[in-house]
Amino acid sequence: MKFPTGDKTVSIIQYVIYLLFCLFVAGIIGWIAHLILLSRELQDVPSASIGISIVAIPLFSTLIAIFSYVFWGMKRGKQ
Amino acid sequence: MPRWGMAIDLNKCTACQACVIACKAENNIPFVGPEETAKGRDITWMELISVHEGHYPDAKIKFFPRPCFHCDKPPCTKVCPVHATYKNPEGLVAQIFQRCIGCRFCMAACPYTVKYFNWYKYDIPDEMKNHYNPDVFVRPAGVVEKCTMCHHRLQKARDKARVEGRSLKPGEYIPACAETCPSNAIIFGDLDNSSSEVARLSRSSRAFRLHEELGTEPKVFYLTEEDRHVI
Amino acid sequence: MSFENKWGQDERLFEPIEKTGWGFRATVAILLVLVAWGATSYFRQVKYGLGVTGMAEPVSWGLYITNFVFFIGISHAGTLISAILRLSQAEWRRPITRMAEVITVAVLFIGAGYVLIDLGRPDRMLNVLLYGRYQSPLLWDATSISAYLTASTIYLYLPLIPDIAILRDRARKWNFIFRILSLGWQGTAKQQKVLNRAIAIMAVLVIPIAVSVHTVVSFVFSMTLQPGWHSTIFGPYFVVGAIFSGIAVLIIVMVVFRKAFRLEAYLKEIHFSNLGLLLLVMSLLWFYFTFAEYLTGFYGHEPEEMSVFWDKFRGQYAPHFWAMVTFNFVLPIIILGNRRTRTILGTLIASITISIGMWMERFLIIVPTLMNPRLEYSRGFYFPTLTEWSITIAGFALFLLFYVVFTKFFPIISAWEVKEGREEGLEEVDHRVRSYLPDYGN
Repeated sequence: MKFPTGDKTVSIIQYVIYLLFCLFVAGIIGWIAHLILLSRELQDVPSASIGISIVAIPLFSTLIAIFSYVFWGMKRGKQ
Repeated sequence: MPRWGMAIDLNKCTACQACVIACKAENNIPFVGPEETAKGRDITWMELISVHEGHYPDAKIKFFPRPCFHCDKPPCTKVCPVHATYKNPEGLVAQIFQRCIGCRFCMAACPYTVKYFNWYKYDIPDEMKNHYNPDVFVRPAGVVEKCTMCHHRLQKARDKARVEGRSLKPGEYIPACAETCPSNAIIFGDLDNSSSEVARLSRSSRAFRLHEELGTEPKVFYLTEEDRHVI
Repeated sequence: MSFENKWGQDERLFEPIEKTGWGFRATVAILLVLVAWGATSYFRQVKYGLGVTGMAEPVSWGLYITNFVFFIGISHAGTLISAILRLSQAEWRRPITRMAEVITVAVLFIGAGYVLIDLGRPDRMLNVLLYGRYQSPLLWDATSISAYLTASTIYLYLPLIPDIAILRDRARKWNFIFRILSLGWQGTAKQQKVLNRAIAIMAVLVIPIAVSVHTVVSFVFSMTLQPGWHSTIFGPYFVVGAIFSGIAVLIIVMVVFRKAFRLEAYLKEIHFSNLGLLLLVMSLLWFYFTFAEYLTGFYGHEPEEMSVFWDKFRGQYAPHFWAMVTFNFVLPIIILGNRRTRTILGTLIASITISIGMWMERFLIIVPTLMNPRLEYSRGFYFPTLTEWSITIAGFALFLLFYVVFTKFFPIISAWEVKEGREEGLEEVDHRVRSYLPDYGN
């Protein structure tokens, strides 16, 4: 299959995928934050939301950190 | 803020099922038809339960009407993922039909099995369409429903009181089942108002609630002289 | 072309990607038909409502939730087993890890999908995002499963990078995509260091996530007050069952692809024997948990608990219950406990019985409790309808389809890891064993 396969195109698409993944994780963290605010507003057991966010937000941040480490590590490790 | 509750005197109850019918008419409860009923899908917010005991010649049958108990610590509202069932400030466990996603977690969590699901879009017969109660939402398919203690009646009564510039009087808000009961077995009112009849009955030595050991603190009290364990 | 035989003895691993046989086409066609049939059933369900299922009062959860628990359960095959084997430096893991990791990613989608299929109002699905309540265990599930899905996708992807680079360098079809996905892998010392470190961190990280996932799935049941559900051991019980069924499904997949792709040289008797031993241990552990769970209920002898108990032990679900015990415990113990029967065929038979038995276990946890609610007056029955069975079969078909399509794009055995084992592993193990012994230096 013939594509316009310059190195630049490839690398732009890689950045786009990376950005999408960052957006996905940011979306989840934003969602959790939204649920905390909602539960506070409705006085509907905010402790549950906060408790879960204490685990979930660092976890998703770690995942994106590891992925970033690989993503940039690959770029930097090239000959 | 009142805390609405109910007392059902089983010694007065004649098992006539007028409460069941009144509830159906009041709340636009659909007819699911014989086939669906045979599958166990009939919807009866207020249900008359019969308990069979022992064998001939010592056989015995007991009846009791069962609405939603509107627990003070409801296990169903905890598990709802979208805030479609919740306890309102007056202690009524409400359902938001427009919010419900139909996961049926509340049905699985209710220890009293008072929740019903609209497996299909159920309807009432055409001849009865003119008799829809305009105050009550007609439920679509795929949502959970249950007794609301005729919450729409409370809203109406309160609006009326507000227009007349006074506070709600005792007895102004009564659910259809309590209003209909010919033997006056269902008493409804404010449990926090210690002078109300329902509060007095709830303190009676004849009073008990179903599965009190679960800590759900139902706000429907049964009154009986007999052995209360069997119910 | 000269580079074609660069991979010499591992050339076989790339064959399924580069040659499309009738077997592949036929399999995909059959699976597509099954999935399409399930999709048709589902659209019928959306059109008419959940009434097309066999569910009613009080059995308001049925096959869909059973499948949800089962599929999320087998997702533990993958990532967890692969991570444990990686961390314990088990050298025999090399041809297995990828197969295991793909299972996880494939079934998580399907498992989560069953909850959505079970919804009465799928059109209001987004309410969970807009108005979600973290007090509900369903939201714990949503969070935990999305974390697991993200983590296991990364964990599948990272060890795939060098293999994608190999495919890129072989310059066949889809080269452009492989160029993107390989992230510029050249196998330099620095890149290898980064990748190995990231894989090691992920291997540690996915274990607690995997454990949390099935614990939280069990909480959907154990957080309610219902007899037979409200149990403190449900978390670990579900996790053990999940790993148990996960290994069984992994073995089945290994046998199938060993045959289909002629991978006999890679997946040897020893791999099946080792996994068989693991399965044996899990079977014993499963029995221990089951025993503890039911004995506690029986000894306490609460009437509500007992009506569920007797329904399983000698009531309408007795045939299912005893079949489950036979499939999950008796048969696997006999087959796997004996070295002569712990062959490839033996482990395959045990794995099939365990897969069926564990599916039944999930069913027997959900349905009999709903059928025997606390108040004795509401008793029901449950017979799944054709719609439910169709959608169940479609779920399994979709899992296989996902798997087969994956093998069309990527090698199902990690080529670089096998090569690494051949080139470095031997020496490293030799060195490691020496370091255990007293007569050698540090």
